[in-house]
Amino acid sequence: MNAPANASVKAVGEIDWADKNYLIVDDFVGVRQLLRESLRSLGAKNIDQASSGGEAMGLLARIRYDVVLCDYNLGDGKNGQQVLEEARVRNLVNPSTVWLMVSAEKSVESVMGAAEHQPDAYLIKPITEGVLLSRLNRVWHKKQIFRLIDQAYAEKDYLRAARLCDAAIEAHKAHEIDLLRMKAKLMERSGEPVRAREVYERVLEQREYQWARAGIAKIRLANGEFEQARQAFQSVIAENRYYIDAYDQLALAYQNLGKLEESCAILERAAKLSPNSVPRQRNLGNVALKVGNVQMAEKAFRKCIAIGEYSIMKTPDAYLGLARVCGLKNDPKEALQLLLQVQREFAADFPDIALRSKITEGLVYHESGDYRRARKAGDELEALLTATEDRPDIPTCLELATLLFAVGVKDAPTELLCYVIRNNHDNPLLLDEVQKIFDKARLGDEGQEFIRASKKEATDLMNQGVLLWKTGKLKDAVEWMREARKKVPNNQRILFNAAQILVSHLQQHGYDASLSAEAYDVLHHVDRLLPGQQRFAQLMEQLAQLQPMADSGTIAEVV
Amino acid sequence: MDDTPDAPELSLFLASTAHDMKNSISVLSGTLERLLVAHSAQTDPEYTQMAHMLYQTKRLNDNLMQLLALYKQVGTPAYPFDVQPLELGQLVDQVVAAERVLLKSRGLKLELDYDPELVWHFDEDLIAGVLSHAINNAIHYTCDTVRLAIHVTVDGWLELRVEDNGPGYPPALLKAGAGATRDKDGATAGGINFLTNSTGLGLYFSSEVAKMHRHRERRGTLRLENGGRYGGGCFILCLP
Repeated sequence: MNAPANASVKAVGEIDWADKNYLIVDDFVGVRQLLRESLRSLGAKNIDQASSGGEAMGLLARIRYDVVLCDYNLGDGKNGQQVLEEARVRNLVNPSTVWLMVSAEKSVESVMGAAEHQPDAYLIKPITEGVLLSRLNRVWHKKQIFRLIDQAYAEKDYLRAARLCDAAIEAHKAHEIDLLRMKAKLMERSGEPVRAREVYERVLEQREYQWARAGIAKIRLANGEFEQARQAFQSVIAENRYYIDAYDQLALAYQNLGKLEESCAILERAAKLSPNSVPRQRNLGNVALKVGNVQMAEKAFRKCIAIGEYSIMKTPDAYLGLARVCGLKNDPKEALQLLLQVQREFAADFPDIALRSKITEGLVYHESGDYRRARKAGDELEALLTATEDRPDIPTCLELATLLFAVGVKDAPTELLCYVIRNNHDNPLLLDEVQKIFDKARLGDEGQEFIRASKKEATDLMNQGVLLWKTGKLKDAVEWMREARKKVPNNQRILFNAAQILVSHLQQHGYDASLSAEAYDVLHHVDRLLPGQQRFAQLMEQLAQLQPMADSGTIAEVV
Repeated sequence: MDDTPDAPELSLFLASTAHDMKNSISVLSGTLERLLVAHSAQTDPEYTQMAHMLYQTKRLNDNLMQLLALYKQVGTPAYPFDVQPLELGQLVDQVVAAERVLLKSRGLKLELDYDPELVWHFDEDLIAGVLSHAINNAIHYTCDTVRLAIHVTVDGWLELRVEDNGPGYPPALLKAGAGATRDKDGATAGGINFLTNSTGLGLYFSSEVAKMHRHRERRGTLRLENGGRYGGGCFILCLP
């Protein structure tokens, strides 16, 4: 053989594969031995093996691996994708860890599109030593190119990450498309859809990539151009039937167009193609419940619970949804069992699970016509509400208010809805929804007045803080916004202004570790409430620039 | 492809059987490669036989891969077709890595002629599979040299050529190959011709893979010729 000495061959020698930690996950002992032998001939000494997903999780929890070779089909229990998801969510692998997913055939999973936790590469069996080495080298080099970008991304400094992408495109033309894809995602996260769209269009000039088409469609969806988005997602699916993310997005477009039946049908098709996604089955169950397809809702929720058993993505929603289904089927007994089960299984990670179960219990009784027991659940919930200042998330608040009105309680749900308004005073869609709940309780006029008063309360709180800031009373402004956040903890306008005022304070009076930490807390809180805001990206960048030099020195060392 | 009532059971059965076979083939070809690397033709009389077993194992795997892919309806929107940008260096590394031991065991030379830094857009698994299959085939017929040459043509196609210095393709196959090129609309006429031939599955598969690759108004093509640099068989894949 006379292979020319080219760049990619030369690079092979640069990486030392001998001193790394390896994990092989495969249920077939012959394949494990074969892969171990291949790794040994690369010089590897530290090689662990697992024959199941559960065993792999045990090892991953104890040992930091540099390379994981994981089969996708692992028999009963977790599959390879679930092992990867759990390892990433629980931070059991380093960002630098190379994760190679192995399967017998080309898999749907490898072209799914937007699955959140993708491996670094998919390998098709048989895997010989040469193939393994060339893939390891390739993934390694790509990781080096993305390392600083990934780090900035992890720190949520999206604008810095985007600039790093631009620089990398200049230096690494071969990775231009991947880098552009990353940059578009960063522009979306930064709340800059126009710039994201420019990036997608730049990709499409070169080649017709469906993910770029889908990216543009997603931006249209976010812009409220629902019909155009619907058409675009449909044409993506026509081009690539396995682009599963487009189905989920198309379902969303239909929901926004008020076409729940169509949304439900699309989710059903997606669930058929790729049935093992917990969030997809949950969405399908919820939409099916809304359109009154009890049978489909039941099937989806049961499947969701079954696949969730091995998945880190497991959530209580499917149990609560299935309980509602049982109520509608006039089987309150199974519904109550499910509610007991959900409280047992999720008590540790979901603090408001008792409250949510109680709400579902009330709804189950109400829907199955047992008004006496429904009223009793309502009374208990009312007592719970008066016992604590804490309020659940917005959908739970709305559900709770609806139930309480339905069983004849008046003050507690009104108070709850006012809380919702104060925290979302500039969200017209939500205000409409609240008004409808008042209307349904035959409290339309009073509701209108409550909404007006709550909106004013939030606006006044915010305006006073901004006035103090604009008139140069920064210290007072910081203090005022702190109090405002106590009264109205989840209002994103108030939160953004609070962060802005803290940043101004740091800019004008010099760096202060505790104020900086407070600003980060506020920003991360608002990002959890509503990700992808332009102001978030801008304030995060300003805040990062305010960090003292010593701090950025330690970052440079880690790199 | 949706769905007769018993289709899910059948496809489940096929999938699990395929996984099982793939595991066995992995072990077989991996072990054979290891044995061949550890032994030499001078000292071990079984060496040639082992080399032939590796060739047969690769054929088995190619066929299985092609059957699996065709079962999933390669060439229709149902196949998980996945185009990505890739440097040719990366593609050739994959193919060379997969064929190296077999070539060496037979004392054959693989000549490479390509620009490793050129980036093209294609489904890597499919194209690597097609090239490996073509090289495997050339290994069987060549005298001592196989050539993989990749270039961009004047009108902007990526032309991937697998050439050898053997006796060349028989007339019947050349005719079938010509059918595939004439078939500009992507109808299956060329493919059917391939299927009547004993080596037809691989060629049918390859021409389907070629056709799947589209860019603007162009579709990939496959053709067979005799000639090339060494006067033997030429397997020519063109990608838009």
